[in-house]
Amino acid sequence: MVKTERMHADVAEPAPGSAWAIGAAAWFVPGLGHLLQKRWWRGLLMGGAVWFSFFIGLAMGGHMFDLHAPEGSSQILQVPPMIANLGTGALYIISWLLGYGFADDPVQAARATYEYGNTFLLIAGLMNYLTMLDAFDIAAGRKP
Amino acid sequence: MRHFLVMTLFAALASIVFGAMTKDTPHERLLYGAKVFAEFMVIGLALGWILYFIPWS
Repeated sequence: MVKTERMHADVAEPAPGSAWAIGAAAWFVPGLGHLLQKRWWRGLLMGGAVWFSFFIGLAMGGHMFDLHAPEGSSQILQVPPMIANLGTGALYIISWLLGYGFADDPVQAARATYEYGNTFLLIAGLMNYLTMLDAFDIAAGRKP
Repeated sequence: MRHFLVMTLFAALASIVFGAMTKDTPHERLLYGAKVFAEFMVIGLALGWILYFIPWS
C-alpha cells in the first residue's frame, strides 16, 4: 500500500497547456511570462536583467551568432553560441531580421569591449532560458 | 578599472537572476543573491591574480 502511494507521488502531473503558453511568451519577450502571472517584481528583475544585458552587450560592440560561419571557421562551431543568443527570443529575431548586431568585421573586433559585448549577449540569452523555466514552473504550479 | 566595472555589472545581473529564481522567501532570495554576487567577485578577482602571475611568454 505504501509502495503504491509512493509510486503515485513520484509520477509528475503533466503541465497544463497554459504553462507551455506562458513558457513560450517568457522566451519570446523576456520577463513577460512573470508579468502575465502578476509576478511584477520577479518579472521586472529577471526580465530587466535580460534586457539590460542584451542592450549593454550591443552597446559594447558585441555581435550575435547565426549559422553564417566566418571564413576559416566551421558552421558547427556557430551552433552553441547561436543557441545561447536565441534565448533572447524576439530581441534576437528582430535583430536578425534587421541585420543589426551580427557584423563581425575587424573594425568592430578591434574595440576594447568587443569580447565583453559578446559575453553579455550570450549571457542575456542564457539568463532568459532560466527566466523562462521559472515562469513555466510557476504556471505549472511547481513553484510558489 | 573598466574590466572591474564590467565584471561587477556581470556579477550583479547574473546574481539578480539566480537570486530571484531560487529559494522561497524574499529574505532568502536576497541573501542568496548577495552570496552569489560575492562568489562571482571573489572568484573573478582570485582568477585574475592567478592569471597575472602566469608567465605567458
